[in-house]
Amino acid sequence: MAIRLDYVVRETGTNLFRNFTITLASILTVAVSLFLVGASLMLRQGVENATARWQGGIEFVVFLNPDASPAQIESVGTDLRESPEVEKVTFIDQQGAYEEFKQLFADSPEMVESVTPEILPPSYRVVPVNKEIDVVQALGQQFEGKPGVRDVVYASETIRLVQDLSDRLTVGIFIVAAFLLGAAGLLILNTIRMAMYARRREIEVMKLVGATNWFIRVPFMVEGLVQGVIGALLAVLSLAAFKPFFEQWLPNPEDFPLVSGFAVGGSELSVIYLLLFAVGCIVGAVGAGVAVTRFLDV
Amino acid sequence: MIKLENVTKTYKGDVHALYDASVEIAKGEFVFLVGASGSGKSTFIRLLNKEEEPTSGRIFVAGKNIAELSPWKVPFLRRNIGCVFQDFKLLSNKTVAENVGFALEVIGRPRNVIQTQVPAILDLVGLGNKGDRFPNELSGGEQQRVSIARAFVNRPLILLADEPTGNLDPATSVGIMRLLDRINKTGTTVVMATHDRGIVDTMRRRVIELDRGRIVRDQARGVYE
Repeated sequence: MAIRLDYVVRETGTNLFRNFTITLASILTVAVSLFLVGASLMLRQGVENATARWQGGIEFVVFLNPDASPAQIESVGTDLRESPEVEKVTFIDQQGAYEEFKQLFADSPEMVESVTPEILPPSYRVVPVNKEIDVVQALGQQFEGKPGVRDVVYASETIRLVQDLSDRLTVGIFIVAAFLLGAAGLLILNTIRMAMYARRREIEVMKLVGATNWFIRVPFMVEGLVQGVIGALLAVLSLAAFKPFFEQWLPNPEDFPLVSGFAVGGSELSVIYLLLFAVGCIVGAVGAGVAVTRFLDV
Repeated sequence: MIKLENVTKTYKGDVHALYDASVEIAKGEFVFLVGASGSGKSTFIRLLNKEEEPTSGRIFVAGKNIAELSPWKVPFLRRNIGCVFQDFKLLSNKTVAENVGFALEVIGRPRNVIQTQVPAILDLVGLGNKGDRFPNELSGGEQQRVSIARAFVNRPLILLADEPTGNLDPATSVGIMRLLDRINKTGTTVVMATHDRGIVDTMRRRVIELDRGRIVRDQARGVYE
């Protein structure tokens, strides 16, 4: 037996408006918690992108001149690889540097267009055996001034601090958001329970005349789902509105040359938004599902 | 149509609401259940539409043992059983026509069926011109007619009535009984629990008397006592 769509829409609509304030409370709680999750994911992604060349224990980078000869590049590489103080060396050629650049500036195509692989410097990313700052600096200085080398850049305490801070912040926000999401689920559950209580006489009649359990349940479940979805939608919209402000508020590359531009790419954003949406649906569906199975004695 | 085999219903501890009851009701019969309050009349009725489970024994409705009916099939059992109550159980925020239509809507009947059946059944119960009134604008007798219309609109095989005249004055009750009699004449089996001596003695139908959960009398064309 098919459940008529107009019936579900009408019943869900009345339920949502009957308890408008408490419905609003559930929606806002979903929105706030998902906003926090989204913001911390954005922050984490941003820090990761900005410090991309400093991931995995890389302590300094030897940038070569874009016009360095293959022999010069090879000579620097051999020195690095043969040094007993170096644990690991990775060579990024001009094409690799270009790819990285494209990814970092995915949001500003005009920047990408103004750059070609030929003008970008190839580089060696170096993971030293000893991570003490003095030792790292001494090691790096050996390569400054070698033929073909343009510059040696070190990961400073600041980079490590930023990465560490972002890690802790993300964990902290996630814990708060998890509690809030739990609260949102419980609020939805209670909203549905109140809606069912308000309609207990109708439910009694429905059971008596032989409405199926699903027929009785579906409008309530849709109600919970709608609350989750609207909450997620609000979270995504406010994140989108908040993003430019968020990026401004973080250090920009000119003041802070160690990091590349702080940006979150479009594809990364859609993943975050989709995730929030999915979590919103799940919270709504679970809250409503528990409510209809626990409190709807059919 | 209805058959009880050694049915016992025990509530907490040792209170027997129904004890070792065996009875058979044929299609198209009209049966009065009589007995003092607490004698098990309501339990008898609630067992038939599976609002309650028997503690032991078997209950057949339309040939099926409903004790073994899986929960998801219960709604389909109830579509064959109309129920009328002392307190009407009408929805006060819906009009008369909406109350009756609601019973069809929630079992998934298409709108055109509802639009033709509801006025027809309201005519049958004598409320053809009151479809857009609300229940609290009607008298008790009229409200009970609405509830009978709702119970019968789906043409059930069985109509269960738990003291349908309990809240009504004698003159109004007569009207309700005429209506139930008409419904019975269409072939619907009617089982009615009642305290109303006058009705039972006038109608002279089969009477099943319960006393503390036991069937103490089963009499064709019977009287109240």
